[in-house]
Amino acid sequence: MNGILNWILWLPIIGMVAVILTPKAKDNVIRLLTLVTTSITLVLSVLLYLKFDTTTAAMQFVVKVPWIEQFHINYFLGIDGITMLMTFLNALLFFICTLSSWTVEKNVKAYFSLLLMLQSTVFGVFFALDFFLFYVYWEVMLLPMFFLIGIWGGENREYAAIKFFLYTFFGSIFMLVGIIALYYATGKGPDSFNILAHQGGKFINETVTIFGHNFSFEHIFFWFMFLGFAIKVPVFPFHTWLPHAHVQAPTAVSVILAGVLLKMGTYGFLRIAFPIFPQAAVQSSTIIAVLGLISVIYGAFCAMAQDDVKKLVAYSSVSHMGFVMLGLSAMTTQGMNGAVLQMFNHGTSTAMMFLLIGILYERSHHRWIMKPDGSKGYGGLSTKLPKYTTVFIIGMFASLGLPGLSGFISEALIFLGIYQKFTTITIIAVVGLLIGAAYLLWMFKRMFFGEVNPEIEDYDDMNAREVFYMLPLCIAVIVFGIFPSPLLNVMKASVGQLVDLMAKF
Amino acid sequence: MIQQLFGYLSLYIPEVICVILMTTLLVAESTVKDENASRGKIIGYALAVLLVTLGFLFSNLGEAPEHIFHNAITIDPFSTLIKIVMVVGTMGAIFLSYSSKDIYPNLKSEFSIMAVGVLIGGMLLASANNMLTLYLGIETLSILSYVMSSFKRDEASSTEAGMKYALYGGLSAGVALYGISHLYGALGSIQFVEMVAKLPSLQGTSLAIVLVSFVLFFVGIGYKISLFPFHMWTPDVYQGSPIPVTAFFAIVPKMAGLAALIRISMIFFSEVQVLTVSWVGLMIVISAMTMTVGNVTAIGQNSVKRLLAFSSIGHVGLMILGVVVLNDVGIRAILFYGIVYMFMTLIAFYITSHLSDMYGTDSYDVFRGLIYKHPVMAIIMAAVLFSLAGMPPFSGFIAKFNIFSVVIEKKLYGIAIVAAINSVISLYYYVKLAKTMIFGQADGEVKVAGFTPMNQAVIIGLFIPVLFLGIFWEKVMVISGNAVIYIK
Repeated sequence: MNGILNWILWLPIIGMVAVILTPKAKDNVIRLLTLVTTSITLVLSVLLYLKFDTTTAAMQFVVKVPWIEQFHINYFLGIDGITMLMTFLNALLFFICTLSSWTVEKNVKAYFSLLLMLQSTVFGVFFALDFFLFYVYWEVMLLPMFFLIGIWGGENREYAAIKFFLYTFFGSIFMLVGIIALYYATGKGPDSFNILAHQGGKFINETVTIFGHNFSFEHIFFWFMFLGFAIKVPVFPFHTWLPHAHVQAPTAVSVILAGVLLKMGTYGFLRIAFPIFPQAAVQSSTIIAVLGLISVIYGAFCAMAQDDVKKLVAYSSVSHMGFVMLGLSAMTTQGMNGAVLQMFNHGTSTAMMFLLIGILYERSHHRWIMKPDGSKGYGGLSTKLPKYTTVFIIGMFASLGLPGLSGFISEALIFLGIYQKFTTITIIAVVGLLIGAAYLLWMFKRMFFGEVNPEIEDYDDMNAREVFYMLPLCIAVIVFGIFPSPLLNVMKASVGQLVDLMAKF
Repeated sequence: MIQQLFGYLSLYIPEVICVILMTTLLVAESTVKDENASRGKIIGYALAVLLVTLGFLFSNLGEAPEHIFHNAITIDPFSTLIKIVMVVGTMGAIFLSYSSKDIYPNLKSEFSIMAVGVLIGGMLLASANNMLTLYLGIETLSILSYVMSSFKRDEASSTEAGMKYALYGGLSAGVALYGISHLYGALGSIQFVEMVAKLPSLQGTSLAIVLVSFVLFFVGIGYKISLFPFHMWTPDVYQGSPIPVTAFFAIVPKMAGLAALIRISMIFFSEVQVLTVSWVGLMIVISAMTMTVGNVTAIGQNSVKRLLAFSSIGHVGLMILGVVVLNDVGIRAILFYGIVYMFMTLIAFYITSHLSDMYGTDSYDVFRGLIYKHPVMAIIMAAVLFSLAGMPPFSGFIAKFNIFSVVIEKKLYGIAIVAAINSVISLYYYVKLAKTMIFGQADGEVKVAGFTPMNQAVIIGLFIPVLFLGIFWEKVMVISGNAVIYIK
């Protein structure tokens, strides 16, 4: 079983090579090849889940091969409870995205090979336990994203792609400085690039001098790492790239971006920033909580102001990821569990929303709730597209946190977690939920109720393919809303270990 | 005596071969009657001989250092490695000159002669072990460079380039010579070994004089590798010169100048505390300024040649951070960077050259929609641009990573942050070009000529190391590491 991570990581690359070698005209063969690859990956990740030992917080399925021996860089993979969930989410969403991308006609070969490359790099980020390897995957991930947004995106795609690229690169280059500093702080030894070996507050007493001023090593590099991860999440005020990227990106890429790429940011906090710099993290938890709170409220208000439904959902992502940051800043068992659960649940519910918007866009070729000229973009969808409306309702209510659906549990856990530590912030954050309900319901009212807009008369309801790929997500948000323990059990040990570690500082 | 001379010469075979090559080329050129056919043969001959030189250099790579010709020349693995990079760069430029329309047909073999001449100067500079050899190296390198930059004789911009290059070059060489004369006065010798032995005994004013003289001397080298504030000539010269010449300038003189800078810094500035501190301070400031000026100015360029010129300034700024730390790992990082940079630069100039031959200009527009015309070339060019920006999995990232890591090892976080921000700036203009190639729509008629199978094969061949060294870079790091052991 030890090689299974290798298979999951490299299978998409094998698929990519197969796609590249396929003759250009055979679009359907390319689509099928991608589908086969992503489904095998999905099956493997389910297998991984079944074999996963939930009782231990230790890394499982570890693969460790020396890569650059001189620098003690290893090809070092492994997963724990947190990454188990992310692995599954990644495999699931790429499978779904392959199906949803069936209608892509422009440069099919390039599109699917980039999609597969993206999947592999995202797996790499979650599996890598070696800092160098982690950084390589973290950066390489930008390349397929850049091209996917830039070539298959909307009108303003070039600007969005470059902004996304530069913004993320800016954050990660500081992370690189931090990684190298850690390498030397641990004395260039065999474990100097080992992420796990750095954990546990080993750098509390070190200092650094920058431009002639002394700083605590912990704090300065915590903030370096923070910058890299916060841009990815994105936390206010680093969120400005997100709406552009989302609005311009093709549907499948939006799904991946919101569904798994944003989680890489919060994953970075969980795996790197918090455990390696625990003291700085604990001391900065108020700042993190406040930034999370601003993201929640500000993101929600921004969402409310949007006339473009995709932009609305994009801003709602900012708001929902703010909840994850709040949960993380609590550093309590409930808060952390809630945060990780929210990472998963946001992945499924936002993916639903983006997919649904994509389905609608294929019919209407616009995304306006209210067109710029003041007329309604849609209206009365519920009478014309019943299946679509049903699925939309499930996705929307999961997103706004209706009890019984997945979003509720994770948000409730987060509030439970932070209430003791930041009471005021909790109370304000609850308002964020309210605004969330408001903008979603208002959007729903304007699009689905009211007079039937003549423009939507000839829209078809969801076809079999669309129903088929929405189904797993519908099941996920309902099942995990009622019965979240399969997820909570997996992460319990790993999150528990992190909470124990943070409690010491 | 004679025996000793032959003993020396056996170590000096690569240079000797190059001199013979240059003279035979000169003779061959003057006897040519049939234009095109025999010019191809001449270039083939030059490339073959350079390949032999390369073989000799590789066999020298493992040897312990030898000082020959009364200590005037050092043959050590460090200089040999630099020479290898320069020879490969020269071969690349000569090969490019053959197909480039920028070099007029009747000047093609002349280009080879000049290039080999500059190469000889560069080899001398890389091996210099006393001030006189060093100066000779700089001058040999420079004088032929002036001629090369005005190769397009009937074009004003090219003539202007040659003129600018010569004026700036003459001035800075003069200043450098002035510095050398002061050093001779203060230290009583031109031999590096004897000079450095004198250093510890110096006090107060004489130490200050030595430092000032070194700064004057530094003007000469700083000009050659276009460090701020001696970089002003670079964009105009790069733009005015034909593309093969520009590609050549971006590699050979730069590597030679860097080699001299490294040797001087390592020999003279790790002994005396005061000198070390002031030199390191100076280098940090110059490095920060060089990369910032290079990268920021590159943003606004519309000519790709000019963009590459400014970006090369940025890269050199980053490279000399390896000198700042004054230790073996720093030099190792520069060597690795130099090797990788050579491949990336050659590819970038190759593709630019072929496109500019096709369309008669080197603006961004000729790159528009390249992906639809030459997918493979467009992907390689994009990969090279990302590599230049320091994105993994390409070797440019490893080069940058090494420089960052030596700087951070010395806890110079401030300059590391400046370098980090510069990386982002450089990514911007590289991505802008990549964007034009890949997102832009190809307008006008699609021209497919230009990239002959031969050209494509060479470009792909040059690209393999860019990719390979990004993933399996240990071997080259070991070679570079071994090369720097004897440098002091």
